[in-house]
Amino acid sequence: MEQRTHTLRSVAWLWFGISVAVLVVGFRQALFLTPTDAAQGDVGRIFYYHVPIAMLSLLFPYLNFAGSLAYLYWRRRDPLKALTADAFAVASAEVAVVYSTIVLLTGMLWGRAAWGIWWAWDARLTSMLLLWLLYVSYLVLRRFSSTGQSHTLAAVLSVFAAVDVPIVYMSIRWWRTQHPAPVFGGGPNSGMDKSMLPAFFWNLAGWAIWGVLILAFRFALERRRQIADQEAALQAIEASLEIPQ
Amino acid sequence: MTWHSLFDLSTMEHRHLLFAYAAVLVIQGGYFGWIAWNWSHSKGTRH
Repeated sequence: MEQRTHTLRSVAWLWFGISVAVLVVGFRQALFLTPTDAAQGDVGRIFYYHVPIAMLSLLFPYLNFAGSLAYLYWRRRDPLKALTADAFAVASAEVAVVYSTIVLLTGMLWGRAAWGIWWAWDARLTSMLLLWLLYVSYLVLRRFSSTGQSHTLAAVLSVFAAVDVPIVYMSIRWWRTQHPAPVFGGGPNSGMDKSMLPAFFWNLAGWAIWGVLILAFRFALERRRQIADQEAALQAIEASLEIPQ
Repeated sequence: MTWHSLFDLSTMEHRHLLFAYAAVLVIQGGYFGWIAWNWSHSKGTRH
């Protein structure tokens, strides 16, 4: 047990070091090494954080969906496995909120400088805001519901929330929007200039590695809380069974 | 672009670029810090 903890701690520190190193390279590429966009100027450099984080923000909801489905499946069959799945679900929901918050904020900052407006109620922006609201609702439900069934209700909400993810992804393909056209897979005119690729992929890799780190760290914290709660409950039961002499 | 022009707040485009990068780093760092703080203030298992 001691050896396993030591190994996990070493892996976590190594992962942290790798993610920070890749993010530093991505930051340098995005701000200082990539040529300025001729049409947008320096504000176009927001793209190198906004787009990779936007792509990743659509992955974490699916992890939450998988964790929630596993919780719903195991909750009567094997409650201990269900608790682990629930810890994974809450960790991925929080990371989804963090990433989608950043997408909305950086998008608004870019939109104000590029379009002259902070917000447009077009299909992409509105569906992304809806996604953010759904996962905030998920976390609020877990935090404040007092029914005793909050984890089950949240898991069911998560299943419905996951439906919004493909809508967000397809919104700029299905509808004509204020939001720019897809960078990848958007037809013959999509794609990006070769000079932009290193900054884009370093940041995509960096924020993906970082996302795995914070997801794993948050999951470990939730598991630690669950185990502490179980131990406290066990001690309370043991104390109640002690017969006074 | 240089460090000097990154902190040049005279135009909206430079201000928004700096705010966007700062917001990303503050939100991600803040969330990581919140987890680390809770981790350091929670008890491990007794085994």
